[in-house]
Amino acid sequence: MIFPKDGITKGQLIDYYRAVAPYILPYTKGRPLTLERYPNGVDKAGWWEKQIPKGLPDWVPTVKVKTEYGRHAGDGVEFMLCDDEATLAYVANLAGITLHVWTSRQPKLDHPDFLLVDLDRGDGCTLATMCSVALLFRDTVEEIGLKALVKTTGGSGLHVIVPLEPHYDYEFIKGFSELLGRRIHEQAPDTTTLERSVRRRPSGTVYLDYVQVGRGKTLVPPFAVRARDGAPVSFPLTWPQLEKLRKKRVPDPSTEWERWSLETVPALLRKNGDAWKGQWRGQRLERALQKARKLWG
Amino acid sequence: MAHAIWSGAINFGLVTIPVKLFTAVRSRSSDLSFNFIHKKDDSRIRYRTFCEREDKEVPRSEIVRGYEYEKGEWVTFSDDELKRLDAENTQSVDIVQFCDLDEINPMFFDTPYYLEPEKKGSHAYALLREALRAANKVGIAKVVLRNREHLAAVKPNGDALVLELMHFNDELVDQSDFAFPPLKAEVPPAEMKVAKLLIDTMTSEFKPEVFEDTYREKLLALVEARARGKSVPAARAKTPEATNVVNLMDVLQRSIEESKKGRSSTGAGKKSAAKKTRKRSAA
Repeated sequence: MIFPKDGITKGQLIDYYRAVAPYILPYTKGRPLTLERYPNGVDKAGWWEKQIPKGLPDWVPTVKVKTEYGRHAGDGVEFMLCDDEATLAYVANLAGITLHVWTSRQPKLDHPDFLLVDLDRGDGCTLATMCSVALLFRDTVEEIGLKALVKTTGGSGLHVIVPLEPHYDYEFIKGFSELLGRRIHEQAPDTTTLERSVRRRPSGTVYLDYVQVGRGKTLVPPFAVRARDGAPVSFPLTWPQLEKLRKKRVPDPSTEWERWSLETVPALLRKNGDAWKGQWRGQRLERALQKARKLWG
Repeated sequence: MAHAIWSGAINFGLVTIPVKLFTAVRSRSSDLSFNFIHKKDDSRIRYRTFCEREDKEVPRSEIVRGYEYEKGEWVTFSDDELKRLDAENTQSVDIVQFCDLDEINPMFFDTPYYLEPEKKGSHAYALLREALRAANKVGIAKVVLRNREHLAAVKPNGDALVLELMHFNDELVDQSDFAFPPLKAEVPPAEMKVAKLLIDTMTSEFKPEVFEDTYREKLLALVEARARGKSVPAARAKTPEATNVVNLMDVLQRSIEESKKGRSSTGAGKKSAAKKTRKRSAA
């Protein structure tokens, strides 16, 4: 029983990941994997596992990541790569409830292939505010010729993502993410905050966390299960869906996001497919930056 | 306003004054604490408890407290056993005697708290305060805070009564343990005169607000600068947000230009990638 309150067993977790394998694998392939493991259930202590676990079967693909600096280089850390359904099932069997993957993929681990801003819900922030900020992100990047995608985090926030060609280094992407974060905060100073200290964030705001991309930093991929009661799943949404949700009067977005869970997602995927399907196209940032300089300078 | 630590009463003789207890010292270190972070990947460093003998991680449930009463010899206690020693949470300040304020060496005073009267205690509160002030006395009291009994003084402080926790006698290190020059040491009158003059010229009213914790200020500036992704020059004036966006765009543009020149700032170090960039912007 790994979700004791919901009566969900590890067997069900394995079934889930096998069912969504065709949908989740495109987002995990080639990306070093970190696991959040809860063998004793989500109400007991779990841990994060980066290095490959002991006794890893030899059919599970891995990648050795060297540390950046010569002095510490050594052998580096060996990560699993979640490239196929068998690995996914193996990972679920470790009670690896939540998968976390790098923002870059093999063989270009120094060049992230998307840009990410984590919309983190502050106290008192409503569903409408959360959706409005995400839509503002879409409009802001659209203004400079970029397409954005959105998904629930599985908690109470949203991830807004700009898929990229794996061409820019982490520093550049960090800078660009910061640019977007600051621009959005300028446009919506009352509903967003850039304040890192949780205590100092004004209530009712969305925290624009733009420092989520970096070497070794990870993202919960679409369709990963979160280790919380209800077994919520991080779920890709369409922009029209979000526009509809914006009109709802709900005090806490997570009550909406909870609809997408281990128990509901497989059927929803069979019926509607992945909202991001065909949307993930690598984009370049040179033009976008020129436009931004013209429009925002 | 801060939360009251408790609502209770000041008791002495047959008098009871209902009061609330508030902390009077803002802890400023708590918002400046550091976490340990793994340098190479920004991950949190966590501690795991492990058994020295078995070299194995040990769960919380298998850990008890031990007191080393002799080198290498421990007696152990469960949390429950220790809890039984806790003082009963009386939520009261029990004044056991009064004494002259000047009798108490200021070294005994530790941490001040405010005592605020409940509405119905206002009159008695004012009376106690005025009487203490008129007599230049303080109350010596026992009070339980965080499960421990403390010695404390109840002192008038302007319009407030302040409860000041005190050290127990055996907590203070004995002065005679040190080699101080004897009190009656002969001091040449001329030197004394100069010293007094120096003190006089440097004497001015004590204004606590003049003194600032500069370490804290510097550290905050440093954190601010780091958090903005800038390198260190501390204590710089905040740039307005608008300029930030512009600056950022300039930095990003420079990074692209440099990568075109083959220096790999955008990571576009490979020639092919750099070429592609050039073609696109030329088109």
